Amino acid sequence: MSSATPEAVSRGPAGASSFVALYRLLLRLQVTPLRIVGILALGSLEVLLGALARSDADPLRATTEIALGYGLGIVLPLSTAWLATSTMGDLVEDRLLVYLWLKPVPRWQLPAAAMLATVTIVVPLVAVPLVVTAVVAGASQLIGALLLASVLAVVAYAGLFVAAGLWLRRALWWCLLYILVWENGLARAVDGAARLSIASYAQSLVAAAGDIVVSYADRPSSASVVVPIVVGLVGLVLAVIRYRRAEID
Amino acid sequence: MSAVTGREAMIEVRGVSKWFGSLVAVSDVSFDVGPGITALLGPNGAGKSTMLRMLCGLARPSKGTVRVLGSDPRSDVDVTRHVGLVPQQETVFEPLTAFGFVRLCATLHGLPDPDGSARAALATVELDADDERRLPTYSKGMRQRVKLAQAIVHDPRVIVLDEPLTGLDPRQRAHMIELFHRLGGEGRCVVVASHVLDEVERFGSDVLVMAKGRLAAAGDFREIRSLMDDRPRRIVVRTSEPRVLAADLLHAGVVVGARIEGDDSILLDTEDARRLGRAIAPVARACGASVLEVRAVDEDLEDVFRYLVER
Repeated sequence: MSSATPEAVSRGPAGASSFVALYRLLLRLQVTPLRIVGILALGSLEVLLGALARSDADPLRATTEIALGYGLGIVLPLSTAWLATSTMGDLVEDRLLVYLWLKPVPRWQLPAAAMLATVTIVVPLVAVPLVVTAVVAGASQLIGALLLASVLAVVAYAGLFVAAGLWLRRALWWCLLYILVWENGLARAVDGAARLSIASYAQSLVAAAGDIVVSYADRPSSASVVVPIVVGLVGLVLAVIRYRRAEID
Repeated sequence: MSAVTGREAMIEVRGVSKWFGSLVAVSDVSFDVGPGITALLGPNGAGKSTMLRMLCGLARPSKGTVRVLGSDPRSDVDVTRHVGLVPQQETVFEPLTAFGFVRLCATLHGLPDPDGSARAALATVELDADDERRLPTYSKGMRQRVKLAQAIVHDPRVIVLDEPLTGLDPRQRAHMIELFHRLGGEGRCVVVASHVLDEVERFGSDVLVMAKGRLAAAGDFREIRSLMDDRPRRIVVRTSEPRVLAADLLHAGVVVGARIEGDDSILLDTEDARRLGRAIAPVARACGASVLEVRAVDEDLEDVFRYLVER
């Protein structure tokens, strides 16, 4: 600390440097061995299923179904929920938010950094096993759709689940309930409900690439790209609103 | 009430209340705070931390207004450039070193040289910026100093410290108090919350006394201390001759009531504990009583503050 008067200390505008600092901090807080190993373990099961699909009469169809039902339906949303709810939720629970809130940083930056950190960690961890699965099963024509679907779905879930981490207590449990009951239950069973399912849009991209028809995954390609992005942004806005109004402990 | 004596008010609190559901944490509190050290004194649960949170904008008053350097700290993000807070909680960012943590704060404050500022702040609190250990490995006292370093890294004009001496050894406490005096002497507004009376006495500062969510007293510490010393006190004296000594102390007019407790104790009520303290030995000597023990039964801060609130 210098002895200069506060006015004499020149301070740059809060902008890219503060956002990068927050992003790097959240990355470091979120990347733990337990999380990495846990997500990779879920992904390795996917690769194993891909190896079995290779001997299927229609490996492309079998691989597509694995990707839709397990990769995009279970692994991706669970992994995103695990990390996204804790990015800001842990800061609240550990009472560390005070150190970040009391800074001249625009309030949108922390939720946005949390969302970006989640996407950065989850996308490689879930997309790589999906791609490897496609390669192992000999269905490499799915790779592009799998990558695109993974990115879009993680963006959508990350926005929603970061917001959930700020709005809800025990957010992870609420998110798990949402994934199991809505995304993998009602959205598949009830006609029209899939329109309100994030997985449905991501799954539609892969189903189209695999040239198979799935009742809960038949959204138009344009909607499959636009809707997840919009959902992610809505989640981010909700998170920012909550963060701005939060009483910090 | 005001803790400011003829100086500019850097913090203005007007009619502030804060409640959580049916629990009233702070009730209709008003005061001004200027440059120098001001101690916010009160027992645990008095509302000190809630008040500090409102001063920093971390919590919104349910009623009333808080102004820091003329701005609302809740809505004006820019005022955080001039505020540093040492929170009470001990949790820290586990993956970070002390330097990494303080540097992060310097970066978020937009300082031009975050590395240099972080090193200087850590040097001020006598910590090594090149220490590679992560924060969880630090002792409680070291973590307190790291928290202080992050609070002063941006040269704030207002520094708010919630129980900052907790966990420090005597030498570190002395150093910290000296540092607070230096920061206050530079014209900064330093608000230190504490529940330890002796700690506050060493600040030699203006004092705001909070109890049960209310501002019980404000002003120079010596005046507050005098008020505390003047309150009625209960003293227990263990002696070989309780009945004789009780009668003689009543006769001497240094106690207003006396009750024999067991075989060797007297419970005395006095309005002037200092005078009683001076009188006990000569009165006991005169009546041939041996004094085995003298202790106050209401010396805890709760009682002191209760007296100030109910006064």
